[in-house]
Amino acid sequence: MLRFENVYKRFPDGTEALRNISLHVPKGQFCVLLGPSGAGKSTLLRMLNGLSSPTEGSVHLAGEQITERSVQRLRKRVATVHQQFNLTPRMSVALNVLSGALPQVAHWRAAIGLFPPELREKACRLLDEVGLTPEHVNRRVSELSGGQQQRVGIARAFMMDPAVLLADEPVASLDPRISRGILELLHRQSRNHDTTVLCSLHQPELAREFGDRIIAVNQGRLVFDGTPEQLTDKVCEELYHGALNREQDLPEAALPVCETELELAAA
Amino acid sequence: MNMMKNLSVNRDATWHLDQPYNARHLLFAIIVFVILAVTGSRMEVPRMVQETAQGLGYAVGLNDESSVATGVKRIAESIWPLRISEEIEVSRIEDFDRNDLPWFSHVEVIESRTPHLNTETLQLEETIERKEMLVKPVGYLAHVLLKMLETLEMALWGTLLAVALSIPLACFAAANYAPNRFIYNLARSTISLFRAIPELVSALFLVLAFGFGPIAGFLALGIHSAGFLGKFYAEDIENADRGPQEALQSIGAGQIKTLWYGVLPQVLPQYIAYTLYILDRNIRMATVIGIVGAGGIGLELKGRFDMFNFDHVGTILVIIFLTVIILDQFSARLRSRLM
Repeated sequence: MLRFENVYKRFPDGTEALRNISLHVPKGQFCVLLGPSGAGKSTLLRMLNGLSSPTEGSVHLAGEQITERSVQRLRKRVATVHQQFNLTPRMSVALNVLSGALPQVAHWRAAIGLFPPELREKACRLLDEVGLTPEHVNRRVSELSGGQQQRVGIARAFMMDPAVLLADEPVASLDPRISRGILELLHRQSRNHDTTVLCSLHQPELAREFGDRIIAVNQGRLVFDGTPEQLTDKVCEELYHGALNREQDLPEAALPVCETELELAAA
Repeated sequence: MNMMKNLSVNRDATWHLDQPYNARHLLFAIIVFVILAVTGSRMEVPRMVQETAQGLGYAVGLNDESSVATGVKRIAESIWPLRISEEIEVSRIEDFDRNDLPWFSHVEVIESRTPHLNTETLQLEETIERKEMLVKPVGYLAHVLLKMLETLEMALWGTLLAVALSIPLACFAAANYAPNRFIYNLARSTISLFRAIPELVSALFLVLAFGFGPIAGFLALGIHSAGFLGKFYAEDIENADRGPQEALQSIGAGQIKTLWYGVLPQVLPQYIAYTLYILDRNIRMATVIGIVGAGGIGLELKGRFDMFNFDHVGTILVIIFLTVIILDQFSARLRSRLM
């Protein structure tokens, strides 16, 4: 479903955010991206929704390369859940959820806020699925708690029936108790809607609990790719304390290249 | 031993605090003084000070004479009492119908006596002239209030025009939404140009084009304030939180829908506050813009001033002051509620 081929990303100031990333995520997988801050997780995700483009290499979505020409079309199949929720403040919960379907809506309807009835029904259904109640619908999002705001964000993400859901640290600005609930919701929703998920986290225990597969990046390099069982405490320790920074020190448990290549061959 | 050396080094180092002023400050002060001296004499500041002092002295009874005080006194005397009523000679009114008088008006007969010398008898005689006058007790006040209403309408339409002009301009003049560099620069320079033309100047030319009346007035107001609103709107679009915009862009919502759903709800309260401020400002400008013939209360003010009808001028000024004060309070309250 998602494929990165030898992707490099260099920013104008010379920092290398991604170095030679090759990766394949099959359809329906809940793939967790682990790594310390500044490791390149966000950059990786932003390449898939077209907010960033690779300096070298290519990114493919459902077999089609994301280029300047195809990005606007491919974007419509990708939804994003953001760390800071990125909801429009002062706008109602209902309009925020409906704005997730904006690409489908005619300009004149969007201009006066008259969304078609089927979209309105869908928004209500999704709000119900994410655990909000009818009395939330007409409130401004800024009046809701962080957890509730992220629920609105998830509802908005599913408005376009995305094939791929990107979650950029969806629980980093929430407290741990709420984080679990949000990830459970994300997990359940993606299963029910058959969505491929690429979710960046920085809590290994949550990654182990929810991920079908765990990928770790550090300093722009892919340093681990394996099942939750393979992500032992030792690997985590090394990931967060620098031992995995150097490619030559890759531990036995992490065989990123082999596994990715196997999957590529299978696909 | 080592420690001793360190201590002695510290003791040898002399503390030195710079004086807060140096030669550059002195030079700067001299330049400022020279500029003030030259421009001050050109602006006749000494005469202003002298005459004001004389006027104040006259007011407290120290001086016997003061040209400023005489001038102020003369104007004050001629303004007071304010002109509220309106009297028109009946004989000058065409189709005057005694049975169908306008509202709140009545007919009065005014006798005016003019003394003159009878050349035969060498006696002072009085000729009595009777004039029938139609008196409207609050006629002039009503007229001024109507003119004030016209002024408010000019300000309203000027502001509407400014909003209509500046919204598309602002979208093109916001660096993150301009389609390309050329259009961005074009929009920016149009906004600057609008701001650079004072209303009174553009109104002068618009009066030539559209004739005397409110059209020239509200066009001039609208063009000038579009320059301000365009700048304010564009800066707000640029400074709006990127998060919601990225969220909508990343699903492919397109520029216009992103502006509408990702930016507008964020900036709307500021937009309304700016627009109210511009309306407030336009009302104040609309009162004077009539002086060049562009309609409203200013036109009336100019006419009465030129005819030395200072009692009429007084009424107009009082109405302008009251309106501006009331609207100021109103818009300040509205703004504070919105922000």
